[in-house]
Order: sequence, then C-alpha cells, then structure tokens
Amino acid sequence: MSTSNAAEESAMKLRGYSSMSNLEKRTVNFLILTLVIYGFYFARVRRNAGQSQFAGEALQALIVAVVAIIGIEILYRLVAPPAGVQPEAKDERDSLIELKAYRNAYFAYGTGAFLVISAVIAAGLAHISVTPFLMVNLVLLFMVVAEVVKFVTQLLYYTGGLK
Amino acid sequence: MSRARIRNHIRRLRFDRSEMTQQELAEKVGVTRQTVIAIEGDKYSPSLEVAFRIARVFGVPLEEVFQYEAPDSEAA
Repeated sequence: MSTSNAAEESAMKLRGYSSMSNLEKRTVNFLILTLVIYGFYFARVRRNAGQSQFAGEALQALIVAVVAIIGIEILYRLVAPPAGVQPEAKDERDSLIELKAYRNAYFAYGTGAFLVISAVIAAGLAHISVTPFLMVNLVLLFMVVAEVVKFVTQLLYYTGGLK
Repeated sequence: MSRARIRNHIRRLRFDRSEMTQQELAEKVGVTRQTVIAIEGDKYSPSLEVAFRIARVFGVPLEEVFQYEAPDSEAA
C-alpha cells in the first residue's frame, strides 16, 4: 500500500478538524461564531429584559452582532483564498446536505414562529401586555436557533453520512 | 424493516488501477475527495450520474462498481 493510500486510511479513521473539507471547516467556524456573537447579544438583552422599547444598549448590541457576522463573512471570503484556503466547489453531496439542513432550519423557525404567535395570543387573552422589545427578541432568538440547527444538521450529515 | 444498501468496490478498483488516490478519483469524477471517502465508506449513495462517471473512470460496467442489496422484506 502506498503512503498516500495509508494516509487516506488514517484520515478516514480520524475525522478531526484538520481532515475536514473547507466547507466543513467553514460550517464549524460559523457555528462557533454564531453561538459566541449571539450569545453575547442575548446576554446583554437579558440585562434589559424589562425594557418596553427596542432602543439604547440592546439596539447597539444588535447592530454590533449583525455587523460582526457580516464583517467576518466578508473577511473570511477575502482572506481565505490568499492564505491558500481555496473555497471548494460544492458537489451533489454538499448540495443535498445543504438542502436537508435548510429543511430542518425551516422546521425550527416555523416551530419558533408558531410558539411566539401562540404566546402573544395567550398573553392577549390573559390581558398580559407583550412588549415589542420582547417580541422582536423572541423572533430573533428563533432565527438564531434555526441558523444553529442548520449548521448542526450539516455537521451531523458530514460526519455521520447521508444514506 | 431493514434498509436497502448499496455496496461498492471502489477501494479495490482504485488499488487495481495503480493505487489511484481518492483525490485523483475525485478529480476525474468531478466531486470532492470527501464525497469519494463517503461513497467508499458506504455513508453516501451517489446519484446515477456520478455512479456512471465512477464506472467510466475504471472502465467497467456499473454493476462491477456498485451492488444493490435488497432489504430482507424485499428478498423474501
């Protein structure tokens, strides 16, 4: 058996970060990034939970979170090719995994939207006021949950296989 | 109910062809190396098009590369 084939054998056994494709690495990186940035954002939001309007510190934190995600995405695309990390072309397996990931993310977001709507109706029936601040953040929370579900689904299919 | 499986002999065929690497096969077929790894490890069943392209790279009929194993319920 040649050295390259022996290396392939061990790569198959050790599916660590270094043996991942660039698409898989990107998924891991953006999963961590999403958790860190929105974790930071929701931690700040908790401090202003009693607030009725979406303003001040929370609005500032939201802008920082959104700009950070977009900025890092742009930076990733600009820095990766010069650093020798060529973005891999997607093949049919990547596209299929992405489709399944979007399906699960849609289901997560749909469930979240249903829960938020149910909560608002229930609160209305019970004469409890739901502030716009709370509603916006609940919707945002389920958007982030859907994003995390998408990344996790992709990683599960990449590592566990797609039959 | 047991699931149908598609087995393959890609690894043996690669070794028979001067130990062709997964990367070389991936380039000839037009997929990523990770997809070749997944197909070899029975973790992904490729589309018909990719299956035919793999068979063409090795110069053998499709049945020599992939075998369909029917589930028990179907075989009975």
